[in-house]
Amino acid sequence: MNEWMHIIVSSVLFVVTLFAITKIGGKKQLSELSFFEYVSGITIGSIAGEVIMGLDGNLFHGVLAIVIFGSFTFLHDLLGIKSKKFSEFFEGKATVIIKDGKVMEENLKKEKYTIDELNSLLRQKNVFKTSDVEFAVLEPKGDISVLLKKELIPITPKDLNMPVAPEKETYTVIMDGNVMHDQLASVGKNKGWLDIELDNLGVTIENVFLGQVDSYGKLSIDTYDDQLQIPSPQPRKLLLAMLNKCQADLELFALGTESTSTKEMYNKNAKKLQEAINKVRPFLKE
Amino acid sequence: MTIASDVNQVLSTIKGIEAQLSSMSMNTSNPEASKIFHETMLVIGEIKTDVQKRKTQLEIEEPQYKS
Repeated sequence: MNEWMHIIVSSVLFVVTLFAITKIGGKKQLSELSFFEYVSGITIGSIAGEVIMGLDGNLFHGVLAIVIFGSFTFLHDLLGIKSKKFSEFFEGKATVIIKDGKVMEENLKKEKYTIDELNSLLRQKNVFKTSDVEFAVLEPKGDISVLLKKELIPITPKDLNMPVAPEKETYTVIMDGNVMHDQLASVGKNKGWLDIELDNLGVTIENVFLGQVDSYGKLSIDTYDDQLQIPSPQPRKLLLAMLNKCQADLELFALGTESTSTKEMYNKNAKKLQEAINKVRPFLKE
Repeated sequence: MTIASDVNQVLSTIKGIEAQLSSMSMNTSNPEASKIFHETMLVIGEIKTDVQKRKTQLEIEEPQYKS
């Protein structure tokens, strides 16, 4: 067997082996969350490289080594799920580095991080001032997780007591001009509905590169022809405007009439409508 | 424009809103939104009945404006 053949055969063999090992290891292996996964990932890679290029070595020794390392990681994952002590010993615990805006010097020393390195890690999280940090931990993987002080955390609708309508996931129903029937079924629509919607937008399905349906059943599309102007109807906004107009009209009638009972009826309904509008408003924003 | 025709106009707007709310409550896959749309539709339905009554009353009082 000449050298060329050797490299080709060993490369193919190791591609298959590595693929099998990573498939068994799963996503966790790729995330390299723990020390052990990190080390075994590097070792498996270098064993493979070494054996493929080292022309004198026995191929199956390399495969054996990779399988052993792979099964060790697998075993480690399994035991880690079973026992917390085990996983703490092998993967290490997170270390608190900053608490209440104060750096914990002993912990920093124990992890052998310098102040410059800590600053650099913080800067990667967009923090330039240690006193902005409420709480920071050093993860086993070596990066830092930061909780900012409450006043520095970006404001959310919850802080403002703003009611927001829940928005569910969108489904991609057209890809490359083809209808994705499974996706369409999961939004509870069918081809007939899609045809009507596309007709309303004035495009044919062959022209659509990407079509998505949101949880309110609204179809939004991207066409191949980027010059094409696609109408973007906002039925929910329009409905809100109509509701408001109706409410104003009822109030106007209440002012216009002289009959007390009619006035009362209009006022009652105007109030009722206003309450309904307040309730439905978050859902009509788009 | 008479009062009767104004009332008529609002009545048809209300009917339109009711229909649209009904179709939206069917179309959304979000159960909470669907519920709110349906509840709003029921309120609109009650208002519709009242306005309808007023319209009939106006037609009796002013038959010349009956549409």
